[in-house]
Amino acid sequence: MKRKSHPLLGIHSVLMMIFIYVPILLIIIYSFNNTRLSGDWEGFTFDWYASLMTDDHVLEALMNSLTVGIVSTIVATLLGTVGALSLRGLGRRWKGSMNGLMYLPVIIPDIIMGLSLLVLFNQMHVPLGKATVIIAHITFSMSYVYVVVTARLAGMGKQLEEAAADLGATPWQTFRHVTWPQIFPGVISGALIAFTMSLDDFMVSFFVAGPSSTTLPIYIYGQVKRGISPEINALCTLLIVVSVVLILLAQFFLNRGKGQKKHKMLPI
Amino acid sequence: MKRKGIAGLVLAGALALVSVASLGGCSSSKETLHIYSWADNFDEQVLKDFESKFNVKVTYDNYANNEDLLAKIKAGGGGYDLIQPSDYMVRTMIENNLLEPLDKNNIPNFENIQESLKNPDFDPGNKYSIVYTSGVTGIAYNKKYVKDTIDSWEDLWDPKYKGKVLLLDDNREVIGMALKKQGHSNSSQDEGEIKSAVDDLKKLLPSVLAFDTDTIKQKMIQEEGWIGTVWSGDAAFISKDNPDVEYVVPKEGGTIFSDNYAIPKGAEHKELAEKFINYMLDPQVSAKNYESIGYSDPNAKAMEFHSEEYRNNHMINLSEEELGRTEWLGDVKDTLQLYDRYWTELKSGR
Repeated sequence: MKRKSHPLLGIHSVLMMIFIYVPILLIIIYSFNNTRLSGDWEGFTFDWYASLMTDDHVLEALMNSLTVGIVSTIVATLLGTVGALSLRGLGRRWKGSMNGLMYLPVIIPDIIMGLSLLVLFNQMHVPLGKATVIIAHITFSMSYVYVVVTARLAGMGKQLEEAAADLGATPWQTFRHVTWPQIFPGVISGALIAFTMSLDDFMVSFFVAGPSSTTLPIYIYGQVKRGISPEINALCTLLIVVSVVLILLAQFFLNRGKGQKKHKMLPI
Repeated sequence: MKRKGIAGLVLAGALALVSVASLGGCSSSKETLHIYSWADNFDEQVLKDFESKFNVKVTYDNYANNEDLLAKIKAGGGGYDLIQPSDYMVRTMIENNLLEPLDKNNIPNFENIQESLKNPDFDPGNKYSIVYTSGVTGIAYNKKYVKDTIDSWEDLWDPKYKGKVLLLDDNREVIGMALKKQGHSNSSQDEGEIKSAVDDLKKLLPSVLAFDTDTIKQKMIQEEGWIGTVWSGDAAFISKDNPDVEYVVPKEGGTIFSDNYAIPKGAEHKELAEKFINYMLDPQVSAKNYESIGYSDPNAKAMEFHSEEYRNNHMINLSEEELGRTEWLGDVKDTLQLYDRYWTELKSGR
């Protein structure tokens, strides 16, 4: 039953796509523009990407971003997955409120999250630096992992585990051979989202960053004040590409596995 | 038991957390100077020289505007030893008791600063701050399109430049400019004077291409704008890419501004920060640094070490006569609300 949509709707979606993607496209195009004064197109070049790779500050910011991203992702994935597993047994009523609480960091405005963490660190006299950025990133990444893994657990039901137990498997065996393989794609997907969120985060990092913990987004923000250089366009392009690839991967893992509804979108 | 597996996972998580926490503590034993400043504000080599000369480490993080800096410092310092607030922000920070007084005994090279930049209004006696670089808001114009002699703020109002005038996107700068044009202080607290300046600006509005601070350089280089209020340092940058662009400090005078060295309250390495300031004020180091970043050097003794090209650049090296016509933006107290209201009116074109 093919329904023909109204032509205006088609125009609307095209306009919407233009509205969303043209600014991003411009940055990508200008990152290849062979002129420092980002006005007219003056030929294609990879120069800006090359000069990025030799810039100590960019490389340092990149290293910081990767350190923060990897450490916070590992911890957040562990905590989020364990959280999803342990809260799974809760009764319907508690589950709802717990889910709500775990989901809150996803929807809470970044600026409030950043500010409250900053206040907390100051109250506890924790010196700002890489460690505080990592802890902050764990805080919000954990929720993403929790949400994805919980969805996965809900989708798989309890029948298989009960069958395993009936057949004499110990709880650990059940977990190792039945539960874990089923939720694994969800865990990976959650980890990828967590890493992407960490890589892209500006607001929270900005508040809790201290000496030598400048991440890529903070670095880009500082540079823009000096005028938008083509190197910054190149850097933004790389960030966009990496983020898109990671999200697509996460989507792939989320859709994998039997019996799953296709095209289930990420809860972001 | 199912719980066992989970307990193992929890343990692993806890271990990971501990390792994260220890990550913060494992820096080298060298004394470290934590600088928090604008992006690309120092010559890299000069920083490296400092590191090896004093056997220390320097970290350098960036902020993009004074308000971000204030937020960070107010929230507890963030662990920085040296910051570079602009003139008005030094005043705010002093008022909020956020800065350490500088020990001049550790900074003998302070003497090298040119007299006109010592003892500024916002920090009498340089108790808390020392100038790093300064500039003046004047008129930049493109000689290709602007043929008349430009020497007055009045020239921005010339109908010939309709739609080609650029103004800074800054409340105090723009209203201050109009106040100057009418012969008043750029920080007037007289409601009549301010109103008359704003009425004047409203007449200028049809000529204005844009209120722009961050990309005003690009707009001048690409000749979208012909004439506008531009900082002297930006003008020097613009004219490098577009030699047709000239710069002048109008005869009515302009607003002078500066970025400064300051040490936030409770800084851990205060003495090292002072050592750094003193090192940067060494005439030869100074010449090397400013030559590289292209800003104006406040160091009077450094001039002989600068290149011919740098010394002859009148946008970087403003004359004593030009500097004599300038005025710092003063604290306007409660009148600021009036400035804010008028600014909103101007920006929304009413």
